[in-house]
Amino acid sequence: MIDSMTHRKLSNAAQRLGLTLPRHDATNATCATWRTRILSTRTLRMSALILAMASTATWASDVKSQETQAAADIANKTDTCYVEGVSDRLNCGFVTVPENPNKPDGKQIQVHYVVLPAVKNANHQEALLAIAGGPGQSAIENAAGFDAMLSKVRQQQDILLIDQRGTGRSNLLACDEGAQSPLSFDDNNVDTLAETQKCLTKIDADVTQYGSLNAIKDFEAVRAHLGYKKLHIYGISYGTRMAQLYMRLYPEHLATVTLDGIVPMQQSVLEIGSAIDRGFDLLFKDCQATAACNSQFPQLKADFERVDAKLATGPVMENVYDPVTGEKTMLTMTRGKFSGSIRMALYQANVRALLPHAIHQAAKNNFQPILGLYALTIDNAGMAMGMHASVVCGEDMHRITPTMREQAQHSFMGRTMLEGLEATCSVWKVPAVDDSFSEPINSNIPTLLLSGEIDPATPPSWGELAIEKLTNAKHFVAPYATHGVAYQSCANNLIADLVRSGSVNDLDGECLNKDVRRSFYLNASSVEPLNATSTKTTTTDDHTSTGAKE
Amino acid sequence: MNKIIAMVRKELIDAARDKRSVMAGLYYAIGTPLIMCGLFMVLIGQLTSPDDLKITIKNPDKAPDLVRFLSNKGITQGAADGSDAKDLKAIELIISTDYAAQMNQGKSAEITIVADNSEEKLQNSIRRLEKQLQAYSAEMGSLRLIARGIDPRVVQPLKVNVQDKATTDSKGGMILGIAIFTMIYSVFISGMNLAIDTSAGERERNSLALLLSHPLTTRQLVLSKIIAVSLFALLGLVLILLVSKIAYAFVPWQELGFSVNITTEFMLLMLVVGIPVALMAACLQLFVSFMAKTFKEAQSYLTMVLFVPLALSMAASYNIAPDMLQWLPVSGQQQALMDFIKGKDLPMLQLLVSTLGTLAIAILLAFGMERSLRSEKVIFGL
Repeated sequence: MIDSMTHRKLSNAAQRLGLTLPRHDATNATCATWRTRILSTRTLRMSALILAMASTATWASDVKSQETQAAADIANKTDTCYVEGVSDRLNCGFVTVPENPNKPDGKQIQVHYVVLPAVKNANHQEALLAIAGGPGQSAIENAAGFDAMLSKVRQQQDILLIDQRGTGRSNLLACDEGAQSPLSFDDNNVDTLAETQKCLTKIDADVTQYGSLNAIKDFEAVRAHLGYKKLHIYGISYGTRMAQLYMRLYPEHLATVTLDGIVPMQQSVLEIGSAIDRGFDLLFKDCQATAACNSQFPQLKADFERVDAKLATGPVMENVYDPVTGEKTMLTMTRGKFSGSIRMALYQANVRALLPHAIHQAAKNNFQPILGLYALTIDNAGMAMGMHASVVCGEDMHRITPTMREQAQHSFMGRTMLEGLEATCSVWKVPAVDDSFSEPINSNIPTLLLSGEIDPATPPSWGELAIEKLTNAKHFVAPYATHGVAYQSCANNLIADLVRSGSVNDLDGECLNKDVRRSFYLNASSVEPLNATSTKTTTTDDHTSTGAKE
Repeated sequence: MNKIIAMVRKELIDAARDKRSVMAGLYYAIGTPLIMCGLFMVLIGQLTSPDDLKITIKNPDKAPDLVRFLSNKGITQGAADGSDAKDLKAIELIISTDYAAQMNQGKSAEITIVADNSEEKLQNSIRRLEKQLQAYSAEMGSLRLIARGIDPRVVQPLKVNVQDKATTDSKGGMILGIAIFTMIYSVFISGMNLAIDTSAGERERNSLALLLSHPLTTRQLVLSKIIAVSLFALLGLVLILLVSKIAYAFVPWQELGFSVNITTEFMLLMLVVGIPVALMAACLQLFVSFMAKTFKEAQSYLTMVLFVPLALSMAASYNIAPDMLQWLPVSGQQQALMDFIKGKDLPMLQLLVSTLGTLAIAILLAFGMERSLRSEKVIFGL
């Protein structure tokens, strides 16, 4: 599935694992963590549709009896609560909506939201709605990350987070984890159909009702419930699709929109295969263009291809120590796990820096670094795979053309993903959306589009597609950013400017060009070459293509 | 009753005639919030670390990745030619010449921060630098573990969740404590000149004896003077509330992570709570002024006597007060007001007791005055 859309899951300093996400706001105490829900091909195959949700135990709020929309004041409608990673008192609540909007008297579900109150609320009529990616991530579980990234916005505006239907606390569509150990498990031998079927029978919901179009109605219901007249929207990854739908359906309630890591309406997310391949290529090129990396790993691409070819013939079985428990266990390193680990590492610039070393070691038959990277991808479920399937099967599957199918055959990742999804969708049976769904958004709402040049999921060209009919928009490409530009550059300040001024005219993307690259690891310990004078990491800039395109 | 009203009018007209000395009292009410806000604006600018923190980095070429990481966090090397010397903070970061070698061996690479930790203006910047170095270190540590096939979560055995019960309003409690203090102070200051003028001053001008020769009881005289002075004190309070409401909104409190809101509810509560305080202040000031022999003497006595209620208020606003203080006049009201602003429940009992105490003192002093005015010694200042 489209883990591509995963964006980072952050948590607070207390639980930090150490891997910081690039953030600009140095005054904020929280330290981001590596908690990206990283789906390996295993999950792609749906056998791991099967993700135990990360604990939401920190919810202090007791969900009260069903609240009616008629309640008078925000203060009365919401409860004080805390969420993981944010020490401040927040307001939590939910709206009750019909699962199927065409059957208003049928099954009802709760859509939960959290408001991070503004430090100094300048305008009670407005808030910023941050929409998580995935599809399938919980916005509320990512509250700490949003809070840190949007801290400047929050000085004057409430931040509104909504768990989209099927995710987090809003009627989560997830499945149990399989009994197999993720290390020894061989993802080549998975019966996707059976696993998916097993998952579906366990889910107590009409899975056809969990697409974006129903979810956007929920968002609008929450807005009305809380009494905000206008919303600013920040959407990341798949969240940009939701943001664009909001622009299409309820433009009168939007003040500004920021799309970060853009999935244009015209694009089927299943075309991600080529984006992933592009991400791999950029990694090899970057290493080649960096003197220290090139001298240490002169054959990086060949190294990768050698390992890939070897694993294609069959997995490597090895006795290893479990990355978490330290116990001896069997590792089955498959082609899918290998590529999947590398792919997920590409999402974060600091982890990406470890890849040349990891690939090189794998070529020398040492899978220890790859095991470390793979371990990051197995724990911590952040994605509701049932909801993920509901969205992708209804909105993207039918857009696959024979040419795309043909193209996917050339790419290992593209092919595996497509096969896995086709099997999943044959079980999920979600009716396809109308063709009008895929039309570009035509709007004059002030819109900021952000793309990262080395993004392995949503390349800058997708941003170009999205801006096609936006008449009041700017698209910035951050040359050194991966997926989620606002988390790794000054773009979060641009968002604060946009929200404050309500216009894209004065936004200047120059600061995105600041060289924030991370040096590649040359061994398991260091990024700095020993003879520093001769091999500085300053290199020829082969991608300084940033610039405002209006 | 009519006589009292006539007397109050006379006192107010009297006061209005001597505009300068009376206005001097009111200037306080207008000026203090403005000055405080100005000071806070300067203070906030100095306390917060600048977006772009410029420091001196020695041997930046030994750790280019670290330098880029810091610059991404807004911590950059000052220009070599000293052109930005004005913004350059006196913080030096020395990267050891062995940095790369130590790193490559998987050891801890040495870096040194040289700065004066006692300089308040630098503290935030130093902490920020330390935090970012810590973050870089933690990140590298995690990646070193990953490179060895170990999940970095295993070195984070504790996960500490913090649930802060403060609201953005209550975090500004300290500032508001000071603000409330200035407001209570204004009750005392605003009426002071009038109190002296209408007692010791009147006696010096020999008009007090003249007044008493009218068909008035001393009680009526005392009451009307108290009312006139209280009205002035309350006028000062209204002024300071209005000016505060406007001025405090201009200070960028949010940069310190909290908000300071002078709400209409608070203003009303402050006014209601302020009435008994104003009465007591008027009685106290009149009483002391009558006791003094001359205008000047009254002024110096009052400054000393006023110290008591102000000390009470001050103690409450800095939270250094023992619990007993919440039952006492002035400090009791002050604490109740602070609780109100922090969004806690009003401590009704304490507020009631301290208000009654305030009124009791006022009545006692009024009686004392009434009695003393029967003595010719007091009337003629003999």
